[in-house]
Amino acid sequence: MASGRLQVAEQTHPIFKLQSPIAGFGTAVWSLVWKDLRIEQHTRQTLSIMVMFSLVTVVMFNFALSTELDAAREVSTGLLWATIILAGTLGLNRSLALERENQTIDAILIAPIDYRAVYLAKVISVSLFTLLLEVVLVFVFTIFFNKPFWQPAVLLVLLLGTIGYVAAGVLITSMTIQTRSREVLLPILLLPLVLPLILPAAIATAEIVSLQPEPDRIRSSLSLLLAYDLAILAVGFLSYRFVVES
Amino acid sequence: MSISHLNRTVTILNTLAFLALLVSIATIFTYAPVERSMGNVQRIFYFHVGTAWVGSIAFFVALVAGILYLRRPQWKWDTISLSSVEVGLVFLTIATAAGSVWGKPAWNTWWEWSPRLTLITIAWLTYAAYFMLRGAIEDEEKRGRFAAVYVIVSFVTIILAYASIRIWRDIHPVVFGGTLESAQGASEGLQDIAPGLASMRMGITLTVNVVSFTLIYLAWLVNRIRLQYLKDEVATLKMRVATRLQGG
Repeated sequence: MASGRLQVAEQTHPIFKLQSPIAGFGTAVWSLVWKDLRIEQHTRQTLSIMVMFSLVTVVMFNFALSTELDAAREVSTGLLWATIILAGTLGLNRSLALERENQTIDAILIAPIDYRAVYLAKVISVSLFTLLLEVVLVFVFTIFFNKPFWQPAVLLVLLLGTIGYVAAGVLITSMTIQTRSREVLLPILLLPLVLPLILPAAIATAEIVSLQPEPDRIRSSLSLLLAYDLAILAVGFLSYRFVVES
Repeated sequence: MSISHLNRTVTILNTLAFLALLVSIATIFTYAPVERSMGNVQRIFYFHVGTAWVGSIAFFVALVAGILYLRRPQWKWDTISLSSVEVGLVFLTIATAAGSVWGKPAWNTWWEWSPRLTLITIAWLTYAAYFMLRGAIEDEEKRGRFAAVYVIVSFVTIILAYASIRIWRDIHPVVFGGTLESAQGASEGLQDIAPGLASMRMGITLTVNVVSFTLIYLAWLVNRIRLQYLKDEVATLKMRVATRLQGG
C-alpha cells in the first residue's frame, strides 16, 4: 500500500519527475552557479577583493611608469591583462577556499551530481566575477590611459581570455588548496600555464585599440584563444574528477 | 621490474649512450662541413636541435605516463612521469643555453623576447613548477594523481604554444615540420639555414645527433627510475627499522 502511494507520488510530484540526463546536468550547473552568486550577494567578498586589488595594481603601475606617460600608454594592454590575471588568482583562491573552509565541497561531492557539472559551475561563476571586474577595469583603463578600450571587440577578447583562464584556474586551484602551501602555490603553477593564452589575448587587445589594426593578426589571435579555451575546458572536464576525489 | 633487471638495463644503456655521444661529437667536428655564413660556430646547432628534440619527447613521455597513471594508479607510471619531466627539464635547459650561444653570432644577441623564445621560457617555468606541486603534497597517492593531471594540462598548453609560433613571425628558424616559406620568413634578414640543411652531410650529422641524444635520454631516464626505486626502498627500510625499534 505504502509503496503504491510512493509510486503515485513519483508520477505526480514535480520533485520525482524524471529528467533527461542533459537537463539534469543543466539544472545541477545552474543551481551551483546560483549558490555562488547568492553567497557573493551576501558576503560581497570575492568581487570587492578583486576590484580593490586591481585598482591598487593599476595605481602601482602608473607610479612605476609615471616618468614616461607615453610608455605607460604604450604598454597599457599588457598592464590590463597582467592586472586581470593577478586579480584572478585572488578570486580563484577566495572562491575555492570558501568551499573548503565551510566544507561545502564535501557536501557537493556527496550529492548525486556529475563532477563535470561541479567543474563547469565553478568555471561559470568565477568567470562571471572576473568579467564584472573586467568591466570596471575597462572603464578605469579608458580613463587613465586614454585609449579606446570600450569596444565590443575588446569585450569579446576579454570574454574568450577569461573563459580559458578560469577553466585552467579552477582545475589548478582545486589542486593547490589541497596542498601544504595552499594560496602561495597557485600563481607559480597557474601563471606559466596561462601565458600561452594571455600572449595572444594581449596581442589582440593591442591590435584592436591601436590606430591601424591589422585584421589578420586579430583573427589569428582570436582563433588561438578559442583553441586554448576548448582544449583546457576539455582537459578540465576529463580530469576534474581526479582532482577533487579523495 | 626487479632491481637486477633494472641494473642490467642501466649498464647497457649507459654504454650505448656513451658510445653515441662519442660518435655524435666525432661527426659534428670532423664529418659536418663548415657552414657558409656562420663558420664553425654553427656546429653548436646540432647539439641544440638534438637536446631540444629530447626535451619535447621527454615531456610527451611524461604526458603518456600521466594518462596511464590516471587510468591505473601504479608506482611505475608515476615514476616514469616524474623521471621524464626531470630529464626533459635538464635537456630543455641545455638546449636553451646552446641556442643562446648560437644566437649570439647569428642574431648578435644572447636573448630575444620573440614568441618562440618566450614560449620556451614559459615551458621551462611550467615544468619547473611541477616539482613545486609534488613537493607540496605529502600523500603519495594524491601526489601521483595531481602530478599526472598537471603534466597533462602543461602539455596541452605547450602544444598550443607551439601552434602559436607557427602563426606569428619569429626570429627563430623552423627546422621540424616547417614549410620552406615559413623557414624563409623566419630567417629573413638573418643567417639563412635552409641551404645549410639542404646539404646532405649536415642532414646526416643532424640525424646522428638526434638519435644519440635520444639514447642519452633513455639512459638518463632509466638511471633516474632506478634512483627512485632505491630511494623508495631506503624509505621502506627506514620505516621498518623505526617500527622495530619502537616495538622494542
